[in-house]
Amino acid sequence: MYRIRFHGRGGQGMKTAGRILGTAFFLAGYEVQDAPLYGAERRGAPMLSSVRANGKPINERGIINNPDLVIIADESLLTLPAAGVLPGLTSHSVLLIQTDQSAGTIKNHLHIKGEVLILPLPPDEKTTGGMALASASCGAAGARLCGLALDILEQAVRLELKTLSPNIIEKNLARSRQVFALLPAGIVREGKEIMAGWQRPHWIDLPMEEASISAPAIHGGATSLNMETGDWRILRPVIRTDDCVRCGLCHVFCPEGVISLTDDGLPEIDYHHCKGCLICLAQCPAHAIDAVPEHDKGGKL
Amino acid sequence: MKKTIFKTIKDLPRHHPLGAGTPACGGCGALEDIKLFCDILGEKTIFVNAAGCMTLLSVYPFTPFRGSWIYTAMASAPAGAQGVRDALDVLIQKKRLRPEDDLQVVVLTGDGSAYGMGLSATSGAMDRNLDFIYLCYDNEGYGNTGHQYSAATPHGAQTATSPEAGGYWGYKKDLFSIWAAHRPSYVATVSGSDPLDMARKIKKAKDLKGPRMFIALAPCPTGWHYDPKETVAIGKLAVKTGIWPLKEYIDGKVTHSKKPLSKEKRPGVEEYLEKQGRFAHLFKPRRNDELLAEIQARVDDYWDNIP
Ligand SMILES: Cc1ncc(C[n+]2csc(CCOP(=O)(O)OP(=O)(O)O)c2C)c(N)n1
Ligand code: SF4
Ligand SMILES: [Mg+2]
Repeated sequence: MYRIRFHGRGGQGMKTAGRILGTAFFLAGYEVQDAPLYGAERRGAPMLSSVRANGKPINERGIINNPDLVIIADESLLTLPAAGVLPGLTSHSVLLIQTDQSAGTIKNHLHIKGEVLILPLPPDEKTTGGMALASASCGAAGARLCGLALDILEQAVRLELKTLSPNIIEKNLARSRQVFALLPAGIVREGKEIMAGWQRPHWIDLPMEEASISAPAIHGGATSLNMETGDWRILRPVIRTDDCVRCGLCHVFCPEGVISLTDDGLPEIDYHHCKGCLICLAQCPAHAIDAVPEHDKGGKL
Repeated sequence: MKKTIFKTIKDLPRHHPLGAGTPACGGCGALEDIKLFCDILGEKTIFVNAAGCMTLLSVYPFTPFRGSWIYTAMASAPAGAQGVRDALDVLIQKKRLRPEDDLQVVVLTGDGSAYGMGLSATSGAMDRNLDFIYLCYDNEGYGNTGHQYSAATPHGAQTATSPEAGGYWGYKKDLFSIWAAHRPSYVATVSGSDPLDMARKIKKAKDLKGPRMFIALAPCPTGWHYDPKETVAIGKLAVKTGIWPLKEYIDGKVTHSKKPLSKEKRPGVEEYLEKQGRFAHLFKPRRNDELLAEIQARVDDYWDNIP
């Protein structure tokens, strides 16, 4: 059975990537499962999607703990323990990352035992953080690495993107072909069946605790500040202070309330919490805000 | 008493009590609306929140609110507000709460609740002249569950349950008029893209008693399919094209706080619609002139009947 895990952020297209790969496997005659998994957070927060494909009925359910292939759309997830992108990787598994860094750097830095491949961002997409075609890129990468045929992949892309305009579907198909040509065919090997039949689960007894210990009352306000939503960003708004006319509009319109004004009216962005929606950039009458791709800022890995 | 007048952007509060770090989508228009409500209402509030996207703001142990917050089922926020208001009154009566420590009870619901299954509980709360503020953030669909249509979805919008070309067959319910027919203390429509108009209305409501009702336009990048940075631009276009009237009901009269330009001069609804993926089917692969004309005619008709 093939087990593939896609990791991205809500809105980057990894649910669709999983569907493209799932549909491609299905068209190739496999039994397939594909399902996305989100937390309580929404667009911008880490999410994953899982695909299982097998020549016979699949009896496994739930998150894939022992992937044969892991595909990561957004390299900023690598250093986020909460995103859980690395667990379960062994010398058997293949890791593919959309990034401009080298495979060697990533392999050494993160001590990865298995094969590491990289998928460079499409050159004309650097300014958008490379995410406009991420579903097709990552879906196609999965199909190629698992040895599926190109015409089947194209059929799957057409099926999954059928509500989009013909022009956009064409772009995604072109990108799929490009990715197909870039990556080696069929290097992912099917993992072993783990569940021969029903197995008794390993129950763990958790002793009951007093509610005051297990769920203490919170008396302070705004505890959400402990959540650093700054790592949701793909693009970082940067204010050119020389061009800022101090109108305060970015401060007013930021839905997160993370742009404060200094005493002399200069806006300051709290990058620990800014989610990178870029409303500030769109509303700035002086065009004094730039969007800088996070992966160009360095220091992430 | 000193009157706060919001004349320019600079008069808006500098400090935002609502904490950052929430799980709401980047660019969420509802969060923008709630932020301004908290700016003006301050910290002595208790939000009574019906199930929807905004209930994710407070997932234990995290909350952006500095006051209190309570969760209710979709239909029941106004009933929850009644219980909370009564409890506060009893505490004050028994001298266990000083009147100056009283809290403002604020219902927070999505349009799915407000226009649909919560309408009856809301009607009852207005009948009983409950002293509360009601904020419906209107993202025109069931956002939290994947954007299915609600009774607030505009005609022609594609949603998870109206995915076909042509979009939603129904028409957005006129909740403002339904509420105003109850003759509560105050009813207003607002938009986060017009923070001055919104701040003035919240301040006005804050100084009144009884049911004070708000419908806030909440552009939703995730459900309406547009780039998150366009949230404010889309809100502004909704007002400019006349699709989202900014108005208030007080003392038996409805007045418009801002009117779009005359029919000849104001931008057509197309300018608003074409920015959003949920209306893309009106333009591609072929222009749907008939449906576009119908949507425009409804907006023109509304304003033709406003003196
Ligand atoms: C009685 C009931 N039915 C269904 C649900 C599931 N549910 C949770 S949130 C939600 C959508 C609510 O839509 P809306 O009120 O517009 O808020 P939004 O999600 O758009 O913020 C639904 C259907 C529920 N919680 N209760
Ligand atoms: S789905 Fe829409 S309304 Fe809900 S949190 Fe996201 S942007 Fe806000
Ligand atoms: Mg809604």
